[in-house]
Amino acid sequence: MAAPAHPLITDLPKGYEFDIGAIDVTQDGVERYLAAIEDTNAVYNETGLAPPVAVAALALTQLLEMIDLPDGTLHIGQEIEMHGGVPIGAQLSMRGWIAQRSVRQGAVISVIEFALTLDGKGDPALTGRTTVMVQGATA
Amino acid sequence: MTITPVTKHLTQERINCYADASGDHNPIHVDEAYAKATPLGGTIAHGMLVLASISEMMAAELGEDWLRYGKLRVRFKGPTMSGDTVTASAQETANGNYVVEVRNQDGDGVISGTAEIAPDA
Repeated sequence: MAAPAHPLITDLPKGYEFDIGAIDVTQDGVERYLAAIEDTNAVYNETGLAPPVAVAALALTQLLEMIDLPDGTLHIGQEIEMHGGVPIGAQLSMRGWIAQRSVRQGAVISVIEFALTLDGKGDPALTGRTTVMVQGATA
Repeated sequence: MTITPVTKHLTQERINCYADASGDHNPIHVDEAYAKATPLGGTIAHGMLVLASISEMMAAELGEDWLRYGKLRVRFKGPTMSGDTVTASAQETANGNYVVEVRNQDGDGVISGTAEIAPDA
């Protein structure tokens, strides 16, 4: 049997670091996102700043592409914090890691934290914390 | 103070558009045959798509401050099925933060949490 292409989230210990590259927050990408969610607010174009949840969603998609999620995995919690805003057109460096892992009544609960930094600057522009639960997982 | 709520009808077409925009094509969101065979019985909207309604509402109220210093902390309480209509609402608290939630057309809560502008903004 072939080995899974990516590690199962339930196998990742606290402290595991994801090897993630850059994320591009392009004008086209933001426009497609805003069209998809039907948000017509002019504030994004007027300020040149990306919607916070759009940036977090991009980051999350990239993170989740690096792991296998068993059927029945639930996204149960999300935190997003902006630290000055993410300009549309920015390239962001991303770090992600398993901040917590616990087992409750046969379910594995993993907390993934991530930080997105504007290239060339040290402070994060956005930080996030995603909680997923895998029911019926063996610890 | 109550913020103007945001209501969204999350059709399968809307979910598919979001999948393309976000890159998240998990079959539970976009493959109706696959999803029908799961305990959910059908496709569901991405949690981040539903969450976007809260951010849209906060951006409409707080503008650039939200884009620069917004902070969201939520729990996903239940799935949003394809075809559901959801409404995001917020109530300002005494300390200037907001209690936020999203409910579906049946009044069931699907997201609850808090929103605020970071104190160091």
